Amino acid sequence: MEDLTSYPNTAHGGSSAAPDPSDEELLGQFADGDTAAARLLTGRLGPRCYSVALRMLGNRAEAEDVTQEAMMRLWKMSPNWVPGQAQLSTWLYRVTLNLCVDLRRKKRPDALENVAEPEDQAASVVDQIQESARKDALQAALDQLPDRQRQAVILRHIEELSNPEIAGIMDISVEAVESLTARGKRSLTAMLAARREELGYEHG
Amino acid sequence: MADQDKELDHLFAQARAARDVFPDDLAVRIETDAEAVRLARSARKGRRTWRDKMMAIGGWHGVSGLVAASAAGVWIGFSAPTFLPDPADYFVSQEVTYLMADLNLDETYLEETE
Repeated sequence: MEDLTSYPNTAHGGSSAAPDPSDEELLGQFADGDTAAARLLTGRLGPRCYSVALRMLGNRAEAEDVTQEAMMRLWKMSPNWVPGQAQLSTWLYRVTLNLCVDLRRKKRPDALENVAEPEDQAASVVDQIQESARKDALQAALDQLPDRQRQAVILRHIEELSNPEIAGIMDISVEAVESLTARGKRSLTAMLAARREELGYEHG
Repeated sequence: MADQDKELDHLFAQARAARDVFPDDLAVRIETDAEAVRLARSARKGRRTWRDKMMAIGGWHGVSGLVAASAAGVWIGFSAPTFLPDPADYFVSQEVTYLMADLNLDETYLEETE
């Protein structure tokens, strides 16, 4: 598991993005052949897409590939976007989450095979302890959540989206979002407590 | 339980702090993709396909009308109706008669020379 709280590179956009023009306008400009619009959209939407993919997958290389693919779909569909039909970010979050789920489903059999045979027991235990020490505790717990709970928790508590926005992205009711995030948080709290006990830490 | 909730909130806050950091090389890859899509699209616009040309003259209806008109033209050219004068006669037969008269040749002369 990688330490996902530190990154090797610098900030590339995100919260400092200018409010004008809108994402939709920029997409329209890109569809008309404006390269600068693509750069601005990459700076605005790329970090959000990457952040979600990173937390969904827990792996930087995979998160980068998913982000690139999601943005590629954005560029390709740009001439067909109907303004006002939905938020562009909603569309992109949905594409990103679907790509993440597809990737996790493909990956699962391999992941199980890799766990099977620890050849050198002693070295393996040491590795595991070191790995645990470095482990991003939140990511370790998020990885254990069912897909829908993990999506709702990430969008609510890391992306800080509103419940109606999340409902739009996940295509469910606001009540369902509330239920998923509540159950997800409860599971995370329980998992973090269990992990502390396993590692022999005191409570508090 | 309150402490555990606090720990979870702290972990969420840590994750949010790292949220806006975006690898530069990923941004470059994404922008390169955008440029490739833009170039492919403008190349497609520049190249008028057979279908585009067909649509410009009214689609299949336009094409079939054009083919019918051309075929009628060729047919009239080969076998004009009898009540219409053959424009070729004005040029070919009159010209030949005129030339023959000019040369003052008759059939006997032609036979001799052969």
